Order: sequence, then C-alpha cells, then structure tokens
Amino acid sequence: MTDLHAQPTGPSGHRSTGPSTNTGAGRVLVAVYGVFALAATARASVQLLTRFEEAPLAYLLSALAGLIYIVATITLARGTRASRRLALVAILIELGGVLTVGTLSVVDPEAFPRATVWSVYGIGYGFVPLVLPILGLAWLWHIRSTTS
Amino acid sequence: MIDALAYAVVGLAGLAIIWGIVTAITNKPPGKAQLLYAAGLEAVTVIQSVIAAAKIIGGFRPAELATTIGYLIGIVILIPLAWFWANVERNRFSGIVLAVAALAVLAMTLRLLMLWTPG
Repeated sequence: MTDLHAQPTGPSGHRSTGPSTNTGAGRVLVAVYGVFALAATARASVQLLTRFEEAPLAYLLSALAGLIYIVATITLARGTRASRRLALVAILIELGGVLTVGTLSVVDPEAFPRATVWSVYGIGYGFVPLVLPILGLAWLWHIRSTTS
Repeated sequence: MIDALAYAVVGLAGLAIIWGIVTAITNKPPGKAQLLYAAGLEAVTVIQSVIAAAKIIGGFRPAELATTIGYLIGIVILIPLAWFWANVERNRFSGIVLAVAALAVLAMTLRLLMLWTPG
C-alpha cells in the first residue's frame, strides 16, 4: 500500500519540502475553493453579461468574489512559500467581503436586489462562504506553525 | 432535462458522497471500483447535459437561459477535475475530494431541475 498520508519529505534538509498547503486535508480545502471559484465566477459572469444595470455594485462584488476564489484556489494548490502569502491576502479579502456583503445585505436588502455568493453570509450556499475563509486561515496558520 | 434522469444523477451522486466519506473514515484512498463509479456518475451527468442542450437547441427556453447553460457546462467539469486532484496524492482525503465534487453535482442538478421551467 503506497499510502502517502505522511507528508512528502523528499530530499531531507530542503526547506521547500516541508508541509505544504496542497497536501493532506489541504487537498480538500483546495477542492472546496475550486467549486466556489467555479460557482461564483459563473454566477458573476451571467449577472454581468445579462443584467449588469440592475445592480452594478452587487454584481461587481459577485465578480470580485469569483476572482478571490480563483486566486485562493490556485495559490493554495501551488502551496509554495510565496503563494501562501498571496493566499493569505486573498482569504483575508474573502473574509472581509463575506462579512461586509453579508451585513449589508441584511441591513440594506435594497442595495442587493439579487443574491451574490456572499449575500446574507452565503446563505444560498449553506453558509460555506462564511466558514471557508476561517478554515483557510486556520489551515495557513497550521502550515506556518509546522514549517517554522 | 428529464426528471427521471436528473433524479438518477442525484441518487448516484448521493452514493458517491457516502462512498467518499466511507473511504476517508476507513483511512483508504479510493479504490478502482470507486473511481469507476465516479466515471459512471460523470457519464450520466454528461448525458444529462447533452440532452438538456439538445432540448434548448430544439427550442425550449428556460426562464433563466444563461444561468441554465452555465450550470449545464459547469456540472460536467467537476468530476474530471476532482478525479485528477484526488489521484495526484492518494490518501483518505482523495475520497473527500470526490465527495465534494459529487455534492456539487448533486446541488447543481437540483438547481437545474428548479431552473428548468419555461420562461
């Protein structure tokens, strides 16, 4: 059984071969981010192409969400030191986005006539958009503390 | 969309989710049968999208045409991507990766059923 459950150690002594964001449970995180990258980007594309004038702000935020998910997916999947930094920035923006848009959509539903992935903290997606950045930050924190 | 086919996809995807979770719990990578099953789910999903596309070409207009087309295309790329991603590093998490994709297929099929009403 060639189970690669243990972290790939590679040539020992290389600092680049420590735990990475794209191994173990990180692969699941990447998969979930990938699904959301697809969902949010597709949704935003349809909104921007077919009825941009209805709610420009909501739809631009929708597109931003898609972009953030794409960046997070790619950087977590790459798992290098540099991409981890970029992933951190993307996930922090994601957390800020879901909290801001979530709150605005509750306080002022008029401003968000059509749902985005972040509306009401991602209620349309089982609140996964709210949980995902927290898991992402926890994972980055975990990787950082095991590599240094 | 054919309702019976859509529910078949939902059922197959549901079993794929459970199977993925089971292999994860038993700490095994997905076996050959599980991977073949995922391929079967993908095949049925593709057939569903092709039939729906044919109906749209044939003149059927769902209320949200652009969204429907987006779903019909998006739904067929999930399993192949998950398959690839699950096989690069084979361990218990591979099963969860397949389960995540199957869950997305299930949710998107249910959404497609809702979207499939004449505009």
